[in-house]
Amino acid sequence: MSQTIRFLLDGREVQVTGLPPTTTLLDWLREHAGRSGTKEGCAEGDCGACTVVLADAHEGRLRWQAINACIRFLPTVHGKALFTVESLRAADGALHPAQRAMVDCHGSQCGFCTPGFVMSLFGLYQTQAQPDDSALADALSGNLCRCTGYRPILAAGRQMYALPAPQSTHLPPPAWRDDPAAEADLLARLAALDDGAALRIDHPAGHYLAPRSAADFARQYAEAPHATILAGGTDVGLWVTKQLKPLPLLLHTGAVREFAHVGEYQDARGTWLEIGAAVSLEAAFAALLREYPEATELYRRFASRPIRNSGTLCGNVANGSPIGDSMPALIAVGAEVVLRRGEQLRSLPLEALYLDYRKKDLAAGEFVQAVRIPRRPAQPGFVFRAWKIAKRHDQDISAVFAGFALRLEDGIVADARLAYGGMAGIPRRAAGAEAALRGRALDAATVAGARAALANDFQPLSDMRATAGYRLQVAQNLLTRLQLELQGQFPTRIHDEESRRAAV
Amino acid sequence: MNDLIQDLQSPVADAGTGFVRVGMPVSRVDGRAKVTGEARYAAEHPAHDLAYGVVVGSTIARGSIAGFRLREALAVPGVVEIITHENRPRMRSFDLFYKDMTAPAGAPFRPLYDGEIHFSGQPVALVVAETFEAARYAASLVAVDYLPQQHETNLMAHLARSHKPKPLKAGFSPPPDERGDAEAALLAAPVRIEAEYYSGVEHHNPLELFASTVIRGEDGHLTIYDKTQSSQNSRWYVSRVFGLGKDKVTVRNPYVGGAFGSGLRPQYQLPLAVMAALQLRRSVRVVLTRQQMFSLGHRPETLQRIKLGADHDGRLRAIVHEAVAETSRYEDYVEVVVNWSGQLYACDNVKLLYRLVALDQSSPMDMRAPGAAHGVHALEVAMDELAWALRLDPLELRLRNYAEQDQMKGLPFSSKALRDCYEQGARRFGWARRPLAPRSMRAGSELVGWGMATGTWDAMQMFARAGAVLHADGRLVVSSAATDIGTGTYTAMCTLAADALGLRLEQVMFQLGDSTLPVAPIEGGSSHVATVGSAVAGVCEKLRKRLFRMARRLDNSPFAKARFDEVEFAGGGLRLRRQPSVAMSVEEVMAAAGEARLEEKYLMLPKVLKQKQYLRATHSAVFCEVRVDEAFGTVRVTRVVSAVAAGRIISAKTARSQVSGAVVWGISQALHEETHADHRLGRFMNHNLAEYHVTVNADVGDIDVIFVDEDDRIVSAIGAKGVGEIGIVGVAAAVCNAIFHATGRRVRSTPMTPEKVMAPEGDVSVSAAL
Ligand SMILES: Cc1cc2nc3c(=O)[nH]c(=O)nc-3n(C[C@H](O)[C@H](O)[C@H](O)COP(=O)(O)OP(=O)(O)OC[C@H]3O[C@@H](n4cnc5c(N)ncnc54)[C@H](O)[C@@H]3O)c2cc1C
Ligand code: FES
Ligand code: FES
Repeated sequence: MSQTIRFLLDGREVQVTGLPPTTTLLDWLREHAGRSGTKEGCAEGDCGACTVVLADAHEGRLRWQAINACIRFLPTVHGKALFTVESLRAADGALHPAQRAMVDCHGSQCGFCTPGFVMSLFGLYQTQAQPDDSALADALSGNLCRCTGYRPILAAGRQMYALPAPQSTHLPPPAWRDDPAAEADLLARLAALDDGAALRIDHPAGHYLAPRSAADFARQYAEAPHATILAGGTDVGLWVTKQLKPLPLLLHTGAVREFAHVGEYQDARGTWLEIGAAVSLEAAFAALLREYPEATELYRRFASRPIRNSGTLCGNVANGSPIGDSMPALIAVGAEVVLRRGEQLRSLPLEALYLDYRKKDLAAGEFVQAVRIPRRPAQPGFVFRAWKIAKRHDQDISAVFAGFALRLEDGIVADARLAYGGMAGIPRRAAGAEAALRGRALDAATVAGARAALANDFQPLSDMRATAGYRLQVAQNLLTRLQLELQGQFPTRIHDEESRRAAV
Repeated sequence: MNDLIQDLQSPVADAGTGFVRVGMPVSRVDGRAKVTGEARYAAEHPAHDLAYGVVVGSTIARGSIAGFRLREALAVPGVVEIITHENRPRMRSFDLFYKDMTAPAGAPFRPLYDGEIHFSGQPVALVVAETFEAARYAASLVAVDYLPQQHETNLMAHLARSHKPKPLKAGFSPPPDERGDAEAALLAAPVRIEAEYYSGVEHHNPLELFASTVIRGEDGHLTIYDKTQSSQNSRWYVSRVFGLGKDKVTVRNPYVGGAFGSGLRPQYQLPLAVMAALQLRRSVRVVLTRQQMFSLGHRPETLQRIKLGADHDGRLRAIVHEAVAETSRYEDYVEVVVNWSGQLYACDNVKLLYRLVALDQSSPMDMRAPGAAHGVHALEVAMDELAWALRLDPLELRLRNYAEQDQMKGLPFSSKALRDCYEQGARRFGWARRPLAPRSMRAGSELVGWGMATGTWDAMQMFARAGAVLHADGRLVVSSAATDIGTGTYTAMCTLAADALGLRLEQVMFQLGDSTLPVAPIEGGSSHVATVGSAVAGVCEKLRKRLFRMARRLDNSPFAKARFDEVEFAGGGLRLRRQPSVAMSVEEVMAAAGEARLEEKYLMLPKVLKQKQYLRATHSAVFCEVRVDEAFGTVRVTRVVSAVAAGRIISAKTARSQVSGAVVWGISQALHEETHADHRLGRFMNHNLAEYHVTVNADVGDIDVIFVDEDDRIVSAIGAKGVGEIGIVGVAAAVCNAIFHATGRRVRSTPMTPEKVMAPEGDVSVSAAL
């Protein structure tokens, strides 16, 4: 057991003790470490002004992730290497390509968003060689700029790759340089941080436990079922920064070895992808998209890159918001959750986890250990779609989300799973509409029947995001869209280029 | 004070930048400070023994405070004090002392003055603690008992009690009297349209949170880093509210993370932080939360009605433009909403009306292109409606009604290259290929539409002073208490000064953002470059003359026989125009004359008498393309061309950036921005950036900015007019008009959300008598 938070800042070890475990990384940087280059624009993950970059060891190499410091609790960077906007410049003042390009392209007006953009660009620079425009836009999807109109910043993102390599000596090269030797130093420093002990913080304001094994985690949670499970903290962080809730005991999934993996699981029904409780949304989607490339739009429009780097798929599923984006798609493809309490394991179809608004089939001390996703069915005639309808293209909460999985045999719908978010208090299947499709050819008449059935399946609510009438109409139009697409009439949406290529 | 203020962090261009000329695309001189995180904003200045203040806001919209229960909050370890109206330090009572330089008529809100509640979110207490975390947590434990009264926050429910506003606000002019007989001319017109336009509340939401760091010196002097558009306005306010002499308070704002009008008035965190510093005799920082930023002031909810009458050939016979907007109960916030309709097009019969409804809200505030953003929007949508009623190309309709002179007073324009905007914008956009009828273009499953609109804004100039010190080593320090809220003031002023004296950009430093510097106006209304820039040009001109006289008097001076107009300043010094090899660097002149420093001051007063003989305005023509997916009502703005006539462009990069950023504001206004209120509670609901939407990068398509040639020496000595606001005006109208062209549906309220775009036609009555 260790009470000291240890991590690397610019490659040098930092030790922190004596702070409440809910101290955010941002507050620590700005108020305790005197690094005010990292900004606060919202303290809830929406603006990206607080973006910093973490590196950790993953499969023997450095893994780089841009994250939002404002909702990230300081103890969760234990054992990682942290880089902030102050880290990038070389000792002689030479700017990093991301910085140089931002100056040259006039990517900054008031400058308050600038460090965040620079760090998102740095995160991209470290992970991807020559990204295309859509990858660039995605890397910047979590950063708001109120001044420049974004074009100059996107231009900077393109230009930074054309500039001479960074000169700062404490920055390891980008992953795509494929230079393990140059990464060795930081990897060794990271390894030296890890004494194998679990971090535990006891402070008058609250306690924090980060067990290292699944068995420890399960036991501790069973013993203290009132603990708050902390995964990526992209929901939990806001309880502290916005709702000012005290969290007396946090149990963190992030240090558990077994939870960090995307594995394979086999049973009589077939092969499944198993996504562990600490697997980030970014990594989970990477696995999911290999099976279901049609989920590309879901991936792209799910929160933002830094939120997906911190947040987990299991956290999304466990949080179980009626407007959570992953669940309708996962329900459509028949995903299951693996639940664990102490040493007891059980699995459930995902839709069975949700009983009622914010009510789940989870016993005290029971948690989500993994999500299992069936591999893509081999037979032809399998159709999958995942659609998000929201007011704003990026960084928006869905008005309606739909996941559709169909099996067509000779033009007839042999099976249909239609799952919707935003239409009820929980993510749910549309039983009536499914029945209206099954056994019929997917033509205009069938869809008309399914549209009518949908009106009985759901009584959506009106709120700020959308009225009930709009929600229902859009949910129905999505069925029509499905039919049109299957007839070969593809819509043009920004991210559909890839999904379409994948779907054909 | 003109000499270097050491800790002000004024940026200087990178070494090697070299010589620049006005109009060149110069990289920002503050670029390096911003990309490295070195630029410090209001909340980031360190201080010894700093205490942290967190604001508690009212949960009711109207009533009074019965009492506080503070025991629990005071018990939080680290809490130092909780300041309320019951225990605050002494502050002045008289309303007048709370009026800042841009206050409208009325009695300004006095934070923590008494227990009256005027709006939801009003600050009622400041919790001060040793750490931010402790203050924040204790703030959540502060319990307040209220005596609520019935509040009224809904404009639409109280239109009946509108009143004629008191017009007392700097820069405001009430609608002029009726010209001709508009109603009669309307009835006689063969083609008429009439429609209502609604625009909801919007909030500025600069990315930086409002903050003040008050650093208390040992002698009790307060150095305040404040988020404001004018250090001198904040200094004046603090002095008056607390009765502190000018020498007791310095306000600084060297870097401001955007403001868009929200920093025109001192915001409440400033007096709260000062109160705490005075009471506790130590340094204090107060930073607002994003949620609290929604209680500062907003673009007012506004309902407009426009009636247009025209001949069959499109010539306007009558314009009637009425607006009703909200204000607070304690001030008449006014902005120019309808007057534009009396000046933009030629028309003999014009009636304009502007009224206010007082609600239990905080006073609205100027927000980028205040009044015009929605006032010109309504007019330009109405013009599009008229164009369709006439089956006339919308651009042709504008050209047929082009105003060659001011319509109200018959004054000439100081300059007006709007015709060039129309022509160059249309050409760049390819407008000539536009089919007249809606629903004519399609791409994939989306409908495509093209729309256009005109934009206009005032070209203003204030007065300002500038000081300059030229050092023997060729460094030039120019100073004025100006502000750079991101607009590029540092860069534009350095460019002007470097050009004037022929120096390298890196030899010039412009100091702004300190209330002790020579007087400058509040940065607002797009007048900063024209104003401060003219003062900088003036002081540099004095330096040039002095340098020249010095050079001529030197023994064996190569300039002994030259006249001032025969020399130019270039290449680091002065030289003969006709014989550039006859040259002396600034350093040589200074050394030969034995001068260590030359200091000059300049007071720039606008040439008011001359200016009054002209109508002074900027103009633009905006063209845009949208794609609409009718199945979901989603709109994408794929292309915008904005052609702007804004006088001489001083700094091409910053000016272009201002306009393209403003175009994105227009897209945001068109599609996203609205603060929703829950009128039962009398408060705003979507007070965060997750649900108060601004455009993200994926929303922005191609934006093409054209500056048409204009040079206006009536507006300013340097020919510039200003580009901060013009870029937003008309953009939302162009989007609305493009949506109509795509879908045949007219959306008469902003933002044009997917729901509204999908709704069947007929949300507001339209009469088109053909
Ligand atoms: C800016 C922003 C944008 C967002 N955008 C989206 C979006 O587009 N779509 C969307 O769906 N969501 C969005 N979210 C919500 C959030 O990111 C997701 O719900 C995310 O998946 C949560 O994962 P996490 O690991 O961060 O969970 P945490 O915040 O750590 O936990 C979430 C909840 O689940 C519980 N929990 C976590 N793991 C487990 C487990 N293994 N077993 C049992 N309980 C557990 C926690 O106790 C908590 O109640 C957004 C959030 C932010 C801040
Ligand atoms: S401060 Fe806005 S995302 Fe962190
Ligand atoms: S430059 Fe001001 S928010 Fe981006």
